[in-house]
Amino acid sequence: MAQLDVALIGAGGIARAHLSAWSALGARVRIFAPDGQAPALAREFAATAVSSREEAMAGADVVDVCTPTDTHPEIALSGLAAGAHVLCEKPLALTEADAELIAGTAEAAGLRLYPGHVVRFFPAYARLRELVSVGTLGRVAVARFTRTGRYPTWSPWFADPARSGGILVDQMIHDYDIARWLFGEVVRVHARRCGHLTAPAPEGAVATGTAVLTHQTGVITQVVGVWAPPATPFRTTFHVSGTDGTATHDSVASTGLRITGGHGGDAEGIPSGDFGESPYTVQIREFAAAFAGTGPEPRVSARDGVAAVRIAAAAAESARTGRAVELNGSAV
Amino acid sequence: MRVAVLSFAHVHAATYLRLLRERDDVELVSADPGAPPDDPDRGPLLAERLGVPYVDTWDEVFDQPLDAAIVTSENARHRELVERAAAAGVPVLCEKPLATTEADARAILDACARAGVGLMTAYPVRFASAFGALRRAVHDGSLGRLISVSGTNSGWNPARSQPWFGNRELAGGGAVMDHTVHIADLMDVLLDGAQATEVYAQANSVLDADLGLDVETAGLVTIRYPGGTVAAVDCSWSQPKDHPTWGGLTLTCIGERAIVEFDAFPRLLGGFDASVGRARWEPGGEDLDALMLDAFLDTARTGRRPSPDGEAGLRSLRIVLAAYESLRTGQPVTLPTPRSGAEATP
Repeated sequence: MAQLDVALIGAGGIARAHLSAWSALGARVRIFAPDGQAPALAREFAATAVSSREEAMAGADVVDVCTPTDTHPEIALSGLAAGAHVLCEKPLALTEADAELIAGTAEAAGLRLYPGHVVRFFPAYARLRELVSVGTLGRVAVARFTRTGRYPTWSPWFADPARSGGILVDQMIHDYDIARWLFGEVVRVHARRCGHLTAPAPEGAVATGTAVLTHQTGVITQVVGVWAPPATPFRTTFHVSGTDGTATHDSVASTGLRITGGHGGDAEGIPSGDFGESPYTVQIREFAAAFAGTGPEPRVSARDGVAAVRIAAAAAESARTGRAVELNGSAV
Repeated sequence: MRVAVLSFAHVHAATYLRLLRERDDVELVSADPGAPPDDPDRGPLLAERLGVPYVDTWDEVFDQPLDAAIVTSENARHRELVERAAAAGVPVLCEKPLATTEADARAILDACARAGVGLMTAYPVRFASAFGALRRAVHDGSLGRLISVSGTNSGWNPARSQPWFGNRELAGGGAVMDHTVHIADLMDVLLDGAQATEVYAQANSVLDADLGLDVETAGLVTIRYPGGTVAAVDCSWSQPKDHPTWGGLTLTCIGERAIVEFDAFPRLLGGFDASVGRARWEPGGEDLDALMLDAFLDTARTGRRPSPDGEAGLRSLRIVLAAYESLRTGQPVTLPTPRSGAEATP
């Protein structure tokens, strides 16, 4: 694969996970972050910190957007304007219109845009997708997904619905995307949210979200998200029932390696997945091959990113209005 | 005590008969006049197999003095038997759901109140000692405010063994009717009997479509309570028929200070059973039906008010009826504020 020049915008938790993957793949990375954290992160991975976004993007093959969600549209569009392909962290945007604008601009420019729906690259979810698509479970009737991690108080924007969309959008979009990937377009969404839902979120805050998705195929999916008390280990589960059986997963029940009694054994903010290759690396390798024109279409597209935002926005609207929100079910 | 088991329609009838026949303090009488004549799991054939006394008609049951009655008929036929027991002055344990309509449930409550007999709704899970510990953690504040709960109550499709479970008229509905009430009752305990304010439900009949039932077999229900606590429920009959255990019930409670997971039917032993070629599943936990029967017989003996009572049964039934209304409309359904005085002890 040709060596890619990557402009990484942002230097927070997800930027670190992406940078580690870009480094493993041998990309040349220039990092810019308005919060001044780029130099420290760059040093750690032998990347280059630069002092402006323009400097980072100039001549880049790829712009990797790892900033707070409300800034995604503007940064992604400027990356596209600079002639770069874009990897944009999920959610693509807070509104379907903004997500659509980014996707449409990329299409019009003949540039590639991929949303970072990394859960599709976690082995349990990738395997579930295989089981469902080849019909191992028969016809699926009902599914549950849960996602529990400590409240992201390490960066203040997460707790602010105006910047992140809140738990129903920022966190639960992972499982909306998985459910749509597995069971098809969503035609109805009902959601509720509880707990501490505004910024600032103090240490120890808790928030939860509950959504029920109705798919065009008739499958019904429950998604539960928890931003949990500080000592809570990161954990995801699913339970899928079909006419030929069930598939279940619990990320804390089947780890390849378990360490207890030491330091840092729990409450990590960014899930590392199992102890195999990082799902972030698998994701970025797949995107990088597509960016370089040497690989097949990745398992997630810009249109998938727009569709996920549409479901997330419907969930937020439902929580706001108390009504179930009908979607027309057509592909975006 | 002389205890009558009225009808074997519900799969729990055999469970209660087995438990009661082992008790030295109980003299059993049973009847199942509506049973299909050749059904080995109903009527005289079941009574004979279990070695329990059996009579052919309700009249023969009620001709003798009774200390307690257990109603295990089809859901829609609870009312006639509860009314008859109440008229005879006999305290009643009624299988859940209490009825299939609010009018029938109210008639059941009124009949027992008029007769001055105790009415208990058969919700065994609240008797689990692990649930007792959860309840204390919620009530003493150590969990902090209860923010939301996820509850699963999944199981084998009961219509495979008793077809009326798949008949809308007799059962009142399918998985949503059969299973949501158990989670709703546990929420009722955790929230001190607060009546839910809003219910949303979605369901389908994908599983066991070959049985040709006219009820749903999978369902997801979202229940909202005063103060904003939300319960997300999976009530599906989604346990595969060849699974080594019938199903289960779990609650995950998200509190302000901690997350608590409750499993009403924890697996005691795992492993593999080579003789049948499937996973070994030795159930653990207490015998919740036995604990519930203990409590019921104790109230029948002492005249103390049973818990869960008929009002609790009515509150959880209202949630299920709202779930069916939500299935019809595709929208959340707001529950009416309980009429004042509904909580008063007769």
